Amino acid sequence: MSETPKLVLFQCQWCLFSSADQEWVDNQLPANIHLIKVPCTGRINPLYLLNAVQGGADGIMISGCLPEQCHFKTGNIGARRQLEEFSDYLNYIGYEQERVRFLWLDLQDRGIIQKELAAFEAQLEALGPAHNLATRLAEPAGGANA
Amino acid sequence: MVDAARQPLIEVKTFTEVEKVEGYVGNFVVTLREKAKYVRADRCNGCGACTKACPVEVPNDFELGLAPRKAAYIPMSQAVPLIYNIDMDACIHCYKCVEACGALEAIDFSMEDKLVEQEIGAIVVATGFSHFDPTPMTEYGYGRFPNVITAMEMERLNNSAGPTQGALIRPSDGKRPKNIAIINCVGSRDKRFNIGCSNFCCMYAIKNALLLKQMHPDAELSIYYIDIRTPSKGYEEFYDRARESGIRFIQGRPSEITEDPDTHQLFIASEDITLGKVIEREYDMVMLNQAAIPQPDQNHMSSVLNVAQSPGGWFMEYHPKLRPMDSPTDGIFFAGACQGPKDIPASVAQGSAAASRASRILHSDSWQIEPTVAVVWPDRCVSADGQACGICSRACPYGAIDYTKGLAAEVITAKCHGCGACVAECPHNAITQLHYTDAQVLAQIRTLLAIEPEKKILAFRCQWCSYGGADLAGTSHFEYSANERGLRVMCSARMDADLIYEAYRLGAGAILYSGCHPQDCHYITGQISGAKRAARLEKIFERMQVSPGRFRTEWISAAEGDKYARVINEMQASLDAIPEDVLKAEIERLRPEMSKRLTKMGEVPGVTQAMAQVDFIVDEMIGKEKGT
Amino acid sequence: MSGFTDSSTLSERVKAIPGGEMLMMCYSCGTCTSKCMIQTKLEGSYNPRRLIREAVFNMDDDAFADKTTWLCTACDLCYTACPQKIHISGVINAVKALAVESGKKTPYQVAKVDESTCVACGLCEKICPYEAISLVEKRVAFRGTITVASVDANKCMACGLCTAACRSTSIRLAEDYNDAELIDSLLSWLETERVSS
Repeated sequence: MSETPKLVLFQCQWCLFSSADQEWVDNQLPANIHLIKVPCTGRINPLYLLNAVQGGADGIMISGCLPEQCHFKTGNIGARRQLEEFSDYLNYIGYEQERVRFLWLDLQDRGIIQKELAAFEAQLEALGPAHNLATRLAEPAGGANA
Repeated sequence: MVDAARQPLIEVKTFTEVEKVEGYVGNFVVTLREKAKYVRADRCNGCGACTKACPVEVPNDFELGLAPRKAAYIPMSQAVPLIYNIDMDACIHCYKCVEACGALEAIDFSMEDKLVEQEIGAIVVATGFSHFDPTPMTEYGYGRFPNVITAMEMERLNNSAGPTQGALIRPSDGKRPKNIAIINCVGSRDKRFNIGCSNFCCMYAIKNALLLKQMHPDAELSIYYIDIRTPSKGYEEFYDRARESGIRFIQGRPSEITEDPDTHQLFIASEDITLGKVIEREYDMVMLNQAAIPQPDQNHMSSVLNVAQSPGGWFMEYHPKLRPMDSPTDGIFFAGACQGPKDIPASVAQGSAAASRASRILHSDSWQIEPTVAVVWPDRCVSADGQACGICSRACPYGAIDYTKGLAAEVITAKCHGCGACVAECPHNAITQLHYTDAQVLAQIRTLLAIEPEKKILAFRCQWCSYGGADLAGTSHFEYSANERGLRVMCSARMDADLIYEAYRLGAGAILYSGCHPQDCHYITGQISGAKRAARLEKIFERMQVSPGRFRTEWISAAEGDKYARVINEMQASLDAIPEDVLKAEIERLRPEMSKRLTKMGEVPGVTQAMAQVDFIVDEMIGKEKGT
Repeated sequence: MSGFTDSSTLSERVKAIPGGEMLMMCYSCGTCTSKCMIQTKLEGSYNPRRLIREAVFNMDDDAFADKTTWLCTACDLCYTACPQKIHISGVINAVKALAVESGKKTPYQVAKVDESTCVACGLCEKICPYEAISLVEKRVAFRGTITVASVDANKCMACGLCTAACRSTSIRLAEDYNDAELIDSLLSWLETERVSS
C-alpha cells in the first residue's frame, strides 16, 4: 500500500495570471498539499524549506514568475540563486533533488499548475516517503511506519 | 475583372512582374517578366482535367493554408483568365497532367520566363496591401492557440465557396463556436508594429460580426476596440444596426489571451474602460483583426518605379490633399491601398481618378511641366573632360540626370521637377536652375543685406513648407522680429553652401536654414540632401568659431506658423546677446575665409554682371532714401 | 518657449521628470490595467490608465491619493504591452516623486531594520530591487555610533527580499508573516496523519 505524498507548495502570489487558477490554488487544493503564499519567490527564506524537510515533507514545489516577468523586478532572480543553491545543498545532505521542483510560469500558462502538481505527486509517490532528514517528525506511537 | 478581360483595348497580363521602368512621362519603356505557367494560354480551355489528375497536394495560399490545392491549379475559381498553372516548386514531374490534357496539348514543360519590353504612356500602380502577421504579438497567442484565427481566415471559413463550404467551425475540434470575440487594432495603432490606423478594420469587424450573427442567430459576438471609427456616409448607421442586433462592443484593448489546455477555450483579459475594471471573459473562438501593411515587395517596387515611400512604407503621393492619386513622378499614378490603407469606396474613387489622370497623358501630344528645371552648362561639366564625377546624378531624387563618364551630364527635362539639389551639389557650378539661377539668388541676398547686414536674420525658406510657415505666421498675426529677411528657393536641397558663405561675407548677422520635415518633402528626398548639407555647414561654422546662434537649421511645416515666429524670435534673442563690436569683429575676421570659399562663384556665367547691376540699383535706392 | 503651457501644472511637472515624458501620448486603451495583476489580486481601485488621466487633467489631489501612485512595483509588464510605448511605471514614479515632494507619504507598510542586531553585512542592500536600502552610520542605543542598514520608506515596495536574505533576522516587513508561526503551522500540518491511497 502506497501513501499519498505530502508536499508543500510555496506560491508567489503573482505567478498565476488566470484568476481561475488562483482560485483553485486558494480553495481547492487537495488535502495533501500545504500552501504557503508569498509576495515573491524572493521572500522564501531557505529556513522554511529546511523546516519543511525536517518536518517530513515528501516534496517541495516552488512556483514563481519567469525571470523578466517578476512583479518586483529581480525578486525571482534572487530566489533562483538562493533557493536553487539551497536545494543543491539539500541534495548533498540526502534530500533528493527530485523532491524539490521549481515551476516558473509564463503569463499565458493556464491550467498548468494543476498538471504540474499532479505530475510531481506521481513522481514523489514513486520515490516513496522521505524519512532521511525528518528529524523533527514526531515518532508515531508504536515505532516507525512498517 | 471579367469585363476588363473582355474589353478589346485592355490587355490583362497575369503572373507577370515589372522588372524595370525606364523613360519618362508618355515615353516609358517597361520591362516585364512574363512568368512561365507551363500551360499554353492559347490552348488551355480551363477544363480542369490536369488538376484532377495531379497527385501532389500543397497548402492553398488563397485559402490561407486552410485547404490543399494541387500542383496543377488555378489560384481561385474566379481567376481571369481561366488558364491553369503548374507550380514547379511542388511538381514531381509525373506528367499525369500531360496525359490528362491529351489531344489539347496545352501543357508545355519547356516553357520559360519571358522578358518583354513595352512602350507605355502612363502607369497606374494598384498593388494593394498585405496583412500583418500577428505571430509576434505573443500576448494574443496566434499560432500557439488553435482557436485564435485572423480576419482573413475567418473570411474563408465563413465563405460558402471556402474550404468548409461555409460551415463555421473551430480549428481545435471542428465544433461550431457559439461565443466569438473580435479584437480590433491587432498590430495597427501600435508603435511596436505599425503606427498608423488601418482605416477600414472597424467597419470590417462590424461587417464580419453582423454576417456571423445573420448566419448563426444564436452566436454571441463581442468586439474589443480602442475607438470605433466609422467616419463615412452610412457607416454610423451600420454600426447602429450591429448594436441593435445584439453584438457587444467592449471598449478596452485586450492585454492577454490565455487558453485552457484541455478544452482549448480562450479567455480574454481586458479592462472595460467604461467600468474601469479588469474583466476576463471566456470565448470559443477569437478573431484577430490584423493591421493592413504595405506589400512585402513594396520597397522593391518603389525602387523599380522610382517613387518614394511615406513613413510606414506606403507609396508617397504628390500632395496628400490636392493630388492624392499622383506619384511625385509624372506619368505614374496610384490607385487604392498601395498608397495607404483605404476601404472599397475610397479605392474605387481613387482608381477612377488615377485612370482619368492617366488618360490625360494618353490624349496629349505635349506635356506641361514646371518651368524651374535644371540645365547643365556642358562646357563647365568636368565629366565631359573625362573626370569621374556624377554627383549631380546621385543627388537627383528623380533619376532625371544621365551621367556617362566622358560626356557632359544631361538633364532629362521631362523628368526634372526643379528642386535644385543638383545645382547646389555640383562642385563645379556647372548646373543652374531656371528662375533660381545663382545670379538671381545672389542678387536677392545682396539686396536684402544692403543696409546694416549685421542686424539682419537672413531666412532661407523652402517654397512648400517653411515659406508657407512664415506666411501662416504672418496671416495668423504671430509677431516675430522685423529684422528677418526671407528668401525663397524651391527646396532646402537648393540652399547652396556658396549662398550661405556669400551671405556671411556680406556680413549677415544670422542665417536660418529651413525646409520641410523629412517626411513632408515635396521632392522625395530633397530635404535629406538639404539636411546633410546643413549638418556639414554647422560643423564648418563651428570650426570657424562662428558665434553660436548665428547659423540655425530648423524644419518647419506650412502648418507651423507659431514655430516659425518662435524660431525667428529665438534667433533675434541670441543675436542680441552678442555685443555689437564683437559681432562686427567676427564678421570682419571671417570675411577673408568666406571670400576664399567663394572663388568659383565668380566664374558662373551671369553672376558678375548681375552683381554689378544689383549694386548699381541698390546704391541708387539707398541714395534716394538718404535724400542725396 | 511658446508661453502657452504653464510649467507649474501637474502634467507639465510629470513630463519634466525622466520617465514621465510620454504622458500625453496615452489614448486610454486599458492594456496596462488589464496586464497588471494588482487590480485583480490586491487592490480593486488600482488603475494606471486612470492615474495617467488624473495627471493629464492636473488633478493633483486625486493623483497623489490614488493607490496606483503608491502600489506600482515597476515590473514593467505593461511597458512591453503598451501600444503607445509609454513607460507607464516611469510616469507613475514621476507622480510618486511629486507626491513625496509635496509631503505625502506612502500609506503602505514597509521594511524595518532592527538596529540592535543589524551587523551591516550589506546583503539586503545588494538584493533590494528598488535601491531602497543603504548603509548609514548612526547612533544606536546601547551600541554607540555604528553602521546599520536604513530603509527609504518611499522607495520600499514591501517585497520582502531583504527579509529572506538577512542572515541575522534583523530586517522585516511591518505586515509580514511571523516566521515562527509560519513554521509552526507548517510543522503541525506535516504531523497530521498521512492519507493512504
